[in-house]
Amino acid sequence: MKYVAIIRQVPDGESKIKVDGGRVNLEGATLILDQMDEYAVEQIIRLKEAHGGEAVVVAFGPERTEEAMRTALAMGANRGVLVTAEGYVDPVTQAGALAKVLAEEAPDAVFTGGQQADWDSQALGAAVAEALGWPSVTWTTAFELEDGHAKATHDLDEGAEVVRVALPAVFTTQQGLNEPRYPTLPGIMKAKKKEIKKIDAAELGVSGSKVEILEQTIMELERKGKIIDGTKEPAAAAAELIKLLHEEAKVL
Amino acid sequence: MILVVMDHDGNELRKGALEGVSRARKLAEALGGEVAGLVVGFGAEGVAEKAKDYVSKVYVVSGPDWETYTAEKWAKAAHAAAEAAGARVVVAPASRTGRSWTARLAVKMDAALLEDTLDSWAEGEKVYATKYSFLNRVLEKQAGSLPAVISVKPNTTPLAEPAGAGTVEPLAVELGELEKKVEVLEKIVETGGKVSLTEAEVVVTGGRGMGSAEAFQMIEEFADLLGGAVGATRAVIDAGWRPYAEQVGQTGKTVQPNVYFALAVSGAVQHQAGMNKSKVVVAVNKDPDAPIFKETDYGVVGDVHQVLPAMIEEVKKLKGA
Ligand SMILES: Cc1cc2nc3c(=O)[nH]c(=O)nc-3n(C[C@H](O)[C@H](O)[C@H](O)COP(=O)(O)OP(=O)(O)OC[C@H]3O[C@@H](n4cnc5c(N)ncnc54)[C@H](O)[C@@H]3O)c2cc1C
Repeated sequence: MKYVAIIRQVPDGESKIKVDGGRVNLEGATLILDQMDEYAVEQIIRLKEAHGGEAVVVAFGPERTEEAMRTALAMGANRGVLVTAEGYVDPVTQAGALAKVLAEEAPDAVFTGGQQADWDSQALGAAVAEALGWPSVTWTTAFELEDGHAKATHDLDEGAEVVRVALPAVFTTQQGLNEPRYPTLPGIMKAKKKEIKKIDAAELGVSGSKVEILEQTIMELERKGKIIDGTKEPAAAAAELIKLLHEEAKVL
Repeated sequence: MILVVMDHDGNELRKGALEGVSRARKLAEALGGEVAGLVVGFGAEGVAEKAKDYVSKVYVVSGPDWETYTAEKWAKAAHAAAEAAGARVVVAPASRTGRSWTARLAVKMDAALLEDTLDSWAEGEKVYATKYSFLNRVLEKQAGSLPAVISVKPNTTPLAEPAGAGTVEPLAVELGELEKKVEVLEKIVETGGKVSLTEAEVVVTGGRGMGSAEAFQMIEEFADLLGGAVGATRAVIDAGWRPYAEQVGQTGKTVQPNVYFALAVSGAVQHQAGMNKSKVVVAVNKDPDAPIFKETDYGVVGDVHQVLPAMIEEVKKLKGA
């Protein structure tokens, strides 16, 4: 059996991001393995541990993505394949290139995060599946293998659903699916020697992006920050709060 | 020609369908041609009779194969309708399901995908859109060439008014091998509150600091008084105190109400991603250093079990007055 996690490197949600000349500049931001992809990495390692076979991480991104791949390898994945491209490439174009890598790898199941913490896109998993002609299950919270099929629970807009899916298939992951492990020191040492194969995106037919980013601006709403101490007289603080909401903010 | 895929509940068109029509009309004005609609699935024939007041032609894909939703089927139906209509742009709601099948459709059409857009327009042979990125912290302007697939973020667009009577046309779409590979075994519908969370003007969210499922009775009472909806953090969902449908955040719902109450909520970035566009943010937390206070307009440092009951009394007085 073979299992693949498609991962990305993104800025930590808590790190400050800045904009220079209408573009987000990540210089100085802490870059991490996307937390939503951590569930994907954990899932392929667990499947390998339970059923044998290989856990492979695949990524599309700039050279620096290798750092996030090392994290996944330190968690326990066997090896990596990185499709390199600088600058923004939309998820549909990425999916076309990744599908070529996956067709060659021929895994039984593929996992990737439900939403990307940089582009806020939810498209990659479903687009990769479509490019391969495979089924997809989005926002997966439970996964079980069943002879050539998977039984999965996944979130919808108004609740959840249990599906049975023929493999190979692509699953997008989210919190609840598992508890991602931390890389251990021996894991980190071993990860340094694990193979990461690099392929230039151009070799897979990528010659640009179907979507262009024209301008980015930081949208932090100014907050008033009026804080009332309610530790000693909670009722009085509540009364003042409601008064402010009614008279000043005019929202009640 | 622009195709708009019109969401419905088997009976009525959803708001998202009418937001989509508004967007499609604006695109049709710039790109030329008319607006066609598609209704798929359970109850589609009945809904088509309502949908035809908004578009020049409604394609209907229905029958036993189409009773349950899967992304594979919806992408296939939309692709068939786009071809029948000769559509160069497909507009759809950016619901969770919408975003999963539109990704597949974009691959089928070899199209530019503009996802979760706040606004969209066309000029020449290009479509443009704005959207949020970086966990809702950045506003981004994008451009894509035609053909394009555009998903519409809920609550961003005025609802379309009816504009005459279009025609209804059944569209026969056969399931292929791919569409047969997913079988829906069970559907778990979590009925949320009385007011829909994503559409509510007031959202009252409780966090783990509420301490128990029972303590949410207070949250419900407060939300009811204000005609608002109840929200919850992931920690609360994981504890099993509230249904997942009420989760606000990166992996839950995105809300943008007039006023957002974060009660005993720490304010983790993943939570903020779902609420940081609220007009006024109110927080109650016993920890003055809780991150939520950095995102707060009006806050109280205190024990929610003492402050919230007093807030309820104050609102009752206000409403009585
Ligand atoms: C990939 C990923 C996605 C995620 N997606 C989401 C998401 O969509 N939504 C989401 O909410 N979270 C999400 N999370 C989880 C998030 O990181 C936090 O763990 C979660 O939001 C914490 O919930 P909380 O604030 O209720 O709980 P806690 O962090 O436990 O905070 C409880 C707060 O209550 C306060 N408190 C305690 N007792 C009282 C009292 N008596 N009176 C007043 N205040 C009190 C405490 O001071 C504290 O600030 C995600 C995490 C990851 C990794």
